[in-house]
Amino acid sequence: MLNRLTASTLALTVLCVGACTTTSTVDSGPNETEAALIARALDIHERVLTLDTHADTPLRMIEPGFDMGVRHDPNDSGSKVDYPRMQEGGLDAIFFAAFVAQDIRDDDGKSRAKALGLQMIDAVIKSIDDHPDMAGLALDPDDAYELEKAGKRAVYLGIENGYPIGDDVGNVELYFDKGVRYITLVHATNNDLADSATDPEGPEHDGISPLGEAVVAEMNRLGMMVDVSHGSDAVFYDAIKMSKAPIIASHSNARGLVAHQRNLTDEMLKLMAQNGGVVQLTMLSDYLRDAPENPQREAALAELMAGAKPATEMTKDERAQLREARSEINKKYPNPSATVADVVDHIDYIVSVAGIDHIGIGCDFDGGGGIDGVFDASEVMNITIELVRRGYTEAQIEKIWSGNLMRVFREVQAVADRFESMDAD
Amino acid sequence: MRLWRARQCAALLVFAGLSSGVYAHPLRLSLTQIEYSDERQVLSVSLRLFLMDVNEALVFDPDSTQLAFCQPDESEDADTLLLEYLEEFFYVKANGQKIDLKIKSKRLSGEGINVALGVEFEHSQPPPLRSLEIRNAVFTDLFDDQSNVIYVHVNGGNKSLMLGKNTPSHTLKF
Repeated sequence: MLNRLTASTLALTVLCVGACTTTSTVDSGPNETEAALIARALDIHERVLTLDTHADTPLRMIEPGFDMGVRHDPNDSGSKVDYPRMQEGGLDAIFFAAFVAQDIRDDDGKSRAKALGLQMIDAVIKSIDDHPDMAGLALDPDDAYELEKAGKRAVYLGIENGYPIGDDVGNVELYFDKGVRYITLVHATNNDLADSATDPEGPEHDGISPLGEAVVAEMNRLGMMVDVSHGSDAVFYDAIKMSKAPIIASHSNARGLVAHQRNLTDEMLKLMAQNGGVVQLTMLSDYLRDAPENPQREAALAELMAGAKPATEMTKDERAQLREARSEINKKYPNPSATVADVVDHIDYIVSVAGIDHIGIGCDFDGGGGIDGVFDASEVMNITIELVRRGYTEAQIEKIWSGNLMRVFREVQAVADRFESMDAD
Repeated sequence: MRLWRARQCAALLVFAGLSSGVYAHPLRLSLTQIEYSDERQVLSVSLRLFLMDVNEALVFDPDSTQLAFCQPDESEDADTLLLEYLEEFFYVKANGQKIDLKIKSKRLSGEGINVALGVEFEHSQPPPLRSLEIRNAVFTDLFDDQSNVIYVHVNGGNKSLMLGKNTPSHTLKF
């Protein structure tokens, strides 16, 4: 892996190569220069369909005045995805996940969650309607390829957290008809469908509840992908058993590298391979590597605080000034982020455990995702560059970027078709 | 043309990456729920804030136990500091009038770095409720990417919006 200084120099060289040549020669041998490697990687990135299976951008879309057709500065707004930056990054397709935070699980709470979920979905549709020249709604695997040919971003819909389904399985079809093609069964805390990997109260259903099982069956019937990210380990195993179609983890990493409950164990990765499903790697630093120390920041903060009065004895203005000073130190000495090398380490690992056919990309932009080198949608080509650097072929990269997920998507639809045939019989 | 732009981006991203680390932390989020019905004539406001963010904002130490929110030994300064901070970054105006934020209850939920402080406010509000102006810029002084999600439930209608550094306030009409 190049260090940053070297990468900066080479990247400038690539800018010249890109501006000065119209074709790139394929030379992946030992004499290939770094600039040529990057040029080759960018050609591959251009040719393959690139699909990110998880972005919480609908949260941004409910910000008054936020326009998906305008390029935003991520350092100013925190926004990680808009249609111009998808185009810049060569990101062809994306699943926007409508997310409703888990709240009280009574009838009132569920009906509100449904209304809020539908509002999020409508916000995505509106962003497409507002920019028909930039993006199109995608419902089937082939749609992404068609939209890519037309120079438009393909927008798929997902739901993160099954809470808006409430206790009415019929709502699954309502969301399907709206365009939703996967549902993440649960989020940060347990819901009526399934247990969360991170609920402080622990498991409630020992996996997927009877209601959740009915939801999985309905998703199979309709042709929606079952997403186990955020679910407890038992949810994963239940989903494998219950689903008649392959499952997905729309944004999860390898626990063999980072011991986080949100990541998948080797046993789960192997089962995912047997199931024919796919794990979509996510760009959350804490899931990618163990956080390193930040001694410079700690020292600067300690020095600042050594001269400060206790907070309770400060005036309001003094507290505001100190907050500002601490914020400046945090910006000057940021916690080191995970890197593209960490991302591809996880890809290497998952490939070694589950095989090349069971890995994809789900960045979780606007949901906490974004690392050094893949900070927002405009930088996703760096993943391809690192994959090329490590010797992945174009065919393998195509599988990682979209082929594997699309294979699962088609198999899920085929299962639904068989359900329909049985009904007809 | 498209490829050339991609090549350009590959060059620029390296420099962006050098200054992007401050954003590497998980999503900065708060959740506010506002409820009103003509029947109850009470405007309920509920904030859920990560306790680490609250401690950073109030006592400059995310891991501090000094204020001991919701504990038997909760500091006498806890509510005062919290309200003083909220006064600067958060308000709700009903029909153009800023409501008085008096804490009705507080609670903690979650564990570890995900512990959330829930704060409930109630305000007597005779009908009709014609407008709500909401300002929520909490923690935008700490984090540029702070996202403050607001769920509004008024007389059976539901609306969600997100406020942050660039859009700290918004008015809803009913």
